[in-house]
Amino acid sequence: MKLSNILRLYRDRLRVGLVAELLAVAGIAVGVALLFASHVASTSLDRSVAQLARGIAGNMQFQLDARSPEGFDQRLLGEVQHITGVQAALPVVERQASMTGPSGSVSIDLLGADPRFARAGGPLLKRFSHLQPANNSSHSQLTSQPSIALPAPIAQSVGAGPLQPVTLQVNGHQTQTLVGTTLSEADIGGLVHSLIALAPVSYVQRLSGMTGRLSRIFLAVKPGRERAVHAALQRLTGDGVNIRGADFDATLFSQAAGPANQSTELFAAISALVGILLALNAMLLTVPRRRGYVFDLRLDGYSRSQVVRVLLFDALVLWLISSVVGLGLGEMLSVKLFRPEAGYLSFGFPISSQRIVTWQSVALGGAVALLASGTGVFAPLREIFAPFKLESGEVQGLGGRLRTVALAGGLVCLALTTAVLLFAPRSAIVGIASLSAALLLLLPVLFDASVSAFNYLRRPFRGISPYLAVIELRDRSNYARSLAIAATGAIAVFGSVAIQGARSDLKQGLDAAVRDIDTTGQVWVTAAGAFNTFATTPFTSTALPRLDRLPGVARVSVYRGSFLNWGERRLWVLAPPSSVSSPIPASQLTSGDLATASARVRQGGWAVLSQALAAEHGLHLGSSFTLPSPRAQRMRVAGLITNLGWPPGALILNADEYARAWESSNPSAYQIQPRQGHAPASVSSEVRQALGENSGFRVETASQREHRHYASTRQALARLTEIETLVLIAATLAMTTAMGTVIWQRRAQLADMQAEGFRRGVLWRALLCESAVLLGTGCSIGALFGLYGQLLLNHALVTVTGFPVVQSVGVQVALSSFALVTAVAVLVIAIPGYLAARVHPAISFQD
Amino acid sequence: MLEFQQVVKYYGVGDGEPVHAVDGVSLSLNKGELLALYGPSGSGKTTLLLIAAALLTPDSGSVIVNGRDLSSLSEKEASSYRLQEIGLVRQSFNLLAGASTIDNAALKLFGTGASKTAAHRRVAPLLQRLGLEGRLDHRGRQLSMGERQRVMIARALSTEPSLVLADEPTGSLDSERGREVLGLLCELCRERELTVLLVTHDAQAAKFADRVCALRDGRLVEYEPDLTLAATDAR
Repeated sequence: MKLSNILRLYRDRLRVGLVAELLAVAGIAVGVALLFASHVASTSLDRSVAQLARGIAGNMQFQLDARSPEGFDQRLLGEVQHITGVQAALPVVERQASMTGPSGSVSIDLLGADPRFARAGGPLLKRFSHLQPANNSSHSQLTSQPSIALPAPIAQSVGAGPLQPVTLQVNGHQTQTLVGTTLSEADIGGLVHSLIALAPVSYVQRLSGMTGRLSRIFLAVKPGRERAVHAALQRLTGDGVNIRGADFDATLFSQAAGPANQSTELFAAISALVGILLALNAMLLTVPRRRGYVFDLRLDGYSRSQVVRVLLFDALVLWLISSVVGLGLGEMLSVKLFRPEAGYLSFGFPISSQRIVTWQSVALGGAVALLASGTGVFAPLREIFAPFKLESGEVQGLGGRLRTVALAGGLVCLALTTAVLLFAPRSAIVGIASLSAALLLLLPVLFDASVSAFNYLRRPFRGISPYLAVIELRDRSNYARSLAIAATGAIAVFGSVAIQGARSDLKQGLDAAVRDIDTTGQVWVTAAGAFNTFATTPFTSTALPRLDRLPGVARVSVYRGSFLNWGERRLWVLAPPSSVSSPIPASQLTSGDLATASARVRQGGWAVLSQALAAEHGLHLGSSFTLPSPRAQRMRVAGLITNLGWPPGALILNADEYARAWESSNPSAYQIQPRQGHAPASVSSEVRQALGENSGFRVETASQREHRHYASTRQALARLTEIETLVLIAATLAMTTAMGTVIWQRRAQLADMQAEGFRRGVLWRALLCESAVLLGTGCSIGALFGLYGQLLLNHALVTVTGFPVVQSVGVQVALSSFALVTAVAVLVIAIPGYLAARVHPAISFQD
Repeated sequence: MLEFQQVVKYYGVGDGEPVHAVDGVSLSLNKGELLALYGPSGSGKTTLLLIAAALLTPDSGSVIVNGRDLSSLSEKEASSYRLQEIGLVRQSFNLLAGASTIDNAALKLFGTGASKTAAHRRVAPLLQRLGLEGRLDHRGRQLSMGERQRVMIARALSTEPSLVLADEPTGSLDSERGREVLGLLCELCRERELTVLLVTHDAQAAKFADRVCALRDGRLVEYEPDLTLAATDAR
């Protein structure tokens, strides 16, 4: 069979079935788009951190990483360079900062590198090194006058070009500096989206008060000398500095982003399922026509292989168009809606907002499109290979044996989910997958039960409409379509209820943690900058005596805190002053006695830590451990807490203990107790005035701080809300389109019924009834399974990551999702239903 | 019982001249009479039947059923008339695929508000009479074509209508099965003294009627049974 003939057949077919074919393309495209966009969002963050690590370290093998934000002694560089086998050593100073230009502010990672050594580093630093001789003015700016190099998009976002001034806030100090040069995408590739600023080491040291200190030294080692160099480094540095792989930040981030990635992956999976069901719905609408077409071809004498070739061409065209449209739509969604949000993780990691599209995301989208196109186009395969019959076959419902197999499979999946819940909460994704499978497998039985229940309930009433609805719902020739429509709603509502419920519980837990932490001080003074939300940036304590003398201030206490790398976790360390009555957030203690633990933390030598961290190191109440702080400290476990909302975990000790362990008396915050009769808000203004307008400090009351934290929690969870809303909208659209088309295709039957004397209103109500039962059943089953999903996710969040979660059963969420989707879908379906019921009855007669 | 008075119905075809589907037909049927309206395709016989079923309104003239002019009926009254006063038997028998034989037969009764038990009690003897007593719980697709048509006859007669309108009731059946089904329909109607308007282009079917009228190009013409039957037999 020639291709031109296949093309001609396709064109003829398209003329009569263009709308159905377009529906199929739209259905598959939306599914592909959802999957692609959520997959891109989940991979972008991980890759951006790894990309920056590679951009700095290139192919270097090791790094010496300071345990304190205040770095280690610079003299270590000289000693390291003398180790046999070390090819190159690249010193780096790193500090988080806030930069303000004429048109905006941005939080950045201020990187200090030495141009003399930069050639040994990754692409970012190499380019930094090239810029010096290539551009004399930049060179002079970067060497003789203080200036920084900025990626062009950042410079653009703050409105500062080359040789223009910007304000930097580092460690509670505000300084004016110049933008020496901007780095374009041609210079540093994808790293142009990284939130960084580059400057010579000495300048960053000066800006951040780290003169003579370094944050890291990256090392290139001669081949075969890695072990010897590692051993020499250990001897040289002792316990004060971490020796890690050069790209260790990517490992740390991957651990921290685990829960966020899991939730996004979960949504990607749910989006994929909704997408496939959506595509299946669309394809099922074209199946009857395609079935008739196959029948006609066989009648005309086409061989089986010719029919297969014709269908193969159909599938290929459908796949190609829907993939291209879907990926385009997905790209748009990914840019506009599913943005990779760094959120709270940016407090501890240099994350860019760059979208990174990998071949895997594209391939995944294409594969789903292929699956859906193939399923739809080849659905009439049975007709092709069955012996030819004069009557075209009808779609049958599930046979008795298949139903039993589905029921058994569903129960096994449900049992597997329960096993995951009880014994392997770490495998929550597996649990959710098996729960989804259970839902789909049990749906036929639950659907039939629901129709029977509706039939039972309608019996006392004489109305014919509900009866007609039951008849249609029991029609086995529509069964596959009905199940596909119900399954779409079920999966969408299931995902929505499970995630929304877990998210709501998590939000409540996080809010409680924030409240407990923030109310330890009535007025807070911290280094300015969005990156310092957790008060983890130390600053030089020069303002304390001034603040202590203010009339509204009763007492100024020193709070300390930072991030500390322990194993593969970047911990949040909180060190409230010993004077605080409740240094431990009461709502977050999961093990131990609050009064005893608080007293022990205040007394010193004791700390409370996240239970997930304790479990990882086999620690229990009273256990001893060595804290890997700049000066390793022997401590005991006073209590176990949640992770306070920071996925890698948290550790609380008292501020004096911190000063000893970190060998620094610098505070990360001042906690101010107002004098009696002075409101925190007025004391806050008083403090702000005393510090001066351009102090580089943020002064806020506990309540202001609490609200800022709530906002950052909401932002962190915002993407889930966006994806969830989109999935629900897509599912509602899919169900209404599919149901609407099914109703439209039934006009001849409606005309028949009218001819028999059934009024239009009766038929319209019957259609609404049928839609409500079908969609309501799918959505309610989805909501029910969603509650189980919520339980599973909550359990995983608490036991695996130690998030602060308020356990609840989201009945309200389940009811509202079920009611909203069902009501919207039925309301939308009411329109085609009304129009279909108005068909003229005479069309059922032929003259 | 049923009277067509100078009924005219025409259809507009694009910008051209309107086509007269029915052109001044006057015809009356007495109670219990079985009249076959014979004519080739496009002669206007189904249009006339649709007018009698209050599914179309004539452009002029009137149709009187039991002394009531159908053109005076509102949409709601027309539906009620079709549901309770007439029985329709058609060429295509679109049974509800999800319903059993007995439920399909009782469908119109459910529409009148009858309970399931009452409706089943009413149609069961009819189905038995039509030879479907062993098929009551079967779904539509499990029935043969002839059986499906018998279910449609049971449905048409279930509300005990005074008038039965049959549009090519044997059109989808082979001649033997067609004769059998038509025989049953006529027998049942005669037993109940129902008035039947049977529209057909099958001269054999016309043999079952008390009276035959022929329609050509929308007008009543003289029926010539011998000629027509001879032509049919020769084929």
